[in-house]
Amino acid sequence: MPIEVKDLTHVYMPGTPFEKKALDGVSFTLENGEFVGLIGHTGSGKSTLIMHLNGLLKPTLGSVTVDGLDLSDKNVSLRDVRKRVGLVFQYPEYQLFEETVIGDVMFGPKNLGLGAEECRARAEEALAQVGLPDAALWEKSPFELSGGQKRRVAIAGVLAMKPGTLILDEPTAGLDPRGRDEIMALMRAIHAKGTTVVMVSHSMTDVSRLCGRILVMNHARLTLDGSPADVFADAARLREAGLDLPPCAALAERLRGAGFAGIPGEAFTQEALAPAILAALGRGNV
Amino acid sequence: MQITIGQYFPGDSLLHRMDPRAKILITIALIVGVFLADSVLSYAAMFAFAFAMIRLSRISVKYIVKGLKPIMFIVIFTFVINMFFTTGGTELVRWRFIRITDSGVRAASFMALRLVLLVIVTQLLTLTTSSIALTDGIESLLKPLARIGFPAHELAMMMSIAMRFIPTLMEETDKIMKAQMARGADFESGSLIQRARAMLPLLVPLFVSAFRRADELALAMEARCYRGGRGRTRMKQLRCTKLDAAGAAVAAALLAVVAVL
Ligand SMILES: Nc1ncnc2c1ncn2[C@@H]1O[C@H](COP(=O)(O)OP(=O)(O)OP(=O)(O)O)[C@@H](O)[C@H]1O
Ligand SMILES: [Mg+2]
Repeated sequence: MPIEVKDLTHVYMPGTPFEKKALDGVSFTLENGEFVGLIGHTGSGKSTLIMHLNGLLKPTLGSVTVDGLDLSDKNVSLRDVRKRVGLVFQYPEYQLFEETVIGDVMFGPKNLGLGAEECRARAEEALAQVGLPDAALWEKSPFELSGGQKRRVAIAGVLAMKPGTLILDEPTAGLDPRGRDEIMALMRAIHAKGTTVVMVSHSMTDVSRLCGRILVMNHARLTLDGSPADVFADAARLREAGLDLPPCAALAERLRGAGFAGIPGEAFTQEALAPAILAALGRGNV
Repeated sequence: MQITIGQYFPGDSLLHRMDPRAKILITIALIVGVFLADSVLSYAAMFAFAFAMIRLSRISVKYIVKGLKPIMFIVIFTFVINMFFTTGGTELVRWRFIRITDSGVRAASFMALRLVLLVIVTQLLTLTTSSIALTDGIESLLKPLARIGFPAHELAMMMSIAMRFIPTLMEETDKIMKAQMARGADFESGSLIQRARAMLPLLVPLFVSAFRRADELALAMEARCYRGGRGRTRMKQLRCTKLDAAGAAVAAALLAVVAVL
C-alpha cells in the first residue's frame, strides 16, 4: 500500500507568537514492503511527519494519500486509515491503561469493531510475535511489567490491528543494548512478514543496519532520500543536518581518503566493511 | 489546544513591564468596578478602558476574542435566564408563558457584558504576566498574612507548581489522546455514556503520569534541600515604578467614574 506525501507543510499554532513551521514542502512515496529509516536532529519534524501518515494531524498545505485514500477528504474514514497504518509512539508504554496485558492489546482490534474472539486471537498472536508468549503474563496488570516488557506490550497493541504499514517513533529510546537488539530483531521479523516498516531514529548505526532506505530531515525539510550507500556518500549534507556517519561508514570514508579507493560505499556495516578492508589489504594498493 | 486562559503571551509592552502586584491589585479594582457598573455609560467607560488596555498590551483584539469563546455558552445561558426571569418594567413581548420586559433585557445585557468584561480583564492579567511573576506577586501581597499563620509561601509555591504543570499536562493529554486514536479510539462521537467510557484510556495513563511527575518533583526538591519559605531570598526582586503608580491612578479614576455614572 503506497503512501504518497506531496508538498506537505505543517504549521503549529498559526497566528500566535508560538507559530512554528514543523514541516516545509516534504514529498516522498513509501512503496510496499520497504523498510525506511527516518532520521534527523531533535525538533527537525520527524514526529510531526509520521503523525500525518495516519491522519492524526492535518496538513496545513499539501496532501497525504494512503492506498489512494486522500486523508484530507472528509469522506475518508479515519478508522479505515488507522487500520492500514499503525503508529507506535515514542515511549508507547505510557499509553497502557487496561487492567490486564491482554485487555490492553485487545483495545485496538475492539475499536476496529471486531468480535471478541477475533480480538482475543489477534491479541494472543501479537503478544507471541513480540516475544511475550507466556499466557501467565497476559493476565497481569501492565503496570507490573518491566520497562522493556511494557514497551513490547504497547507494540503488540498496534500489531494486533494488523496494519499493512507499521511506523515506530524511536522504538529503542531508553532501552539497554539488549532491549534494543530485541526490538530491532522484532522489527526485522515484522518486515520479513511483508509489512512496510518506518522507523524513526536518532541512531545512524541502527538505521544503517536495518533500513533499505533512509530519509533525512533537517529543519522541517527532507534533505536526503535514498539507499544507505547514497545517503552516506553525501557526508557533507548529513553534517549540515547535524548528523554523523555511522562509525563503519566514517571509517570507510577515511580509509578511502587515505588511498584505499577500493572500499565500496556499500560497506557501511561491520559485516560488510571487514571483508572489504581485508580485500583492500590483500590487494595492497598503498 | 486552543486555551488562552492562563497562558502567557510574551511581549515587552507597558502592561508586560508593570509590577505583578500592581497588576493584580488593579485587576481586583477593575473586577469591583465591573460589579459597580450599572448604567450604559459606566459599561461604555469600562469597555473603553479594557479596549485601551488591550491596545497597550499589543496583543491583538482577535486573540482576546478567541479567548472568550469557551465562555460564550455561559454568557448566552445567563443572558437568556436573566431575560426571561427578571420581572418588572414595561412589557416588550408576550407569547404564552414567556414575558420579556425592558428591565429584563437590560439586566440580561448587563450580566452578559459583566461576564465578558471579567474574562477580558483577568485574561489581560494572565496574558501579560508570566506565571512565575504572578505567583511572586501573590506571595508578596499575602505576606502580611503570614504573621497570623497564613501559609503564604506554601500557597504561592503550590500555585506556581500547578501553573507550571498545566502546559505539561496538556501536552501529555494531547500525546496520549493521539496514541489512543492511533489505536482506533474515538473521543468525539457516541452517546454521553459512551464518551465518558472512551475517556478511560486517556485518564488512566494521565493519572499514572501525573503521580509519577509529582513523585519525581518532590524528590528533586528535597534533593536540593527545599524547606519552605523562611529566609529565602529571590533572584528577581519585585519593584514598583512610576508606571505602576500611573496605572493605579488611572484605575482609581476609572472606579470613581464608574461609581458616579
Ligand atoms: N504540539 C505542538 N505544538 C507546537 N509546536 C510543536 C508541537 N509539537 C512539535 N512542535 C514543534 O515542531 C517542531 C518539530 O517537532 P517534532 O516533534 O516533529 O520533532 P522531532 O523531529 O520528532 O524531534 P525529536 O527528535 O526531539 O523527537 C519542534 O520545533 C517542536 O517544538
Ligand atoms: Mg519526535
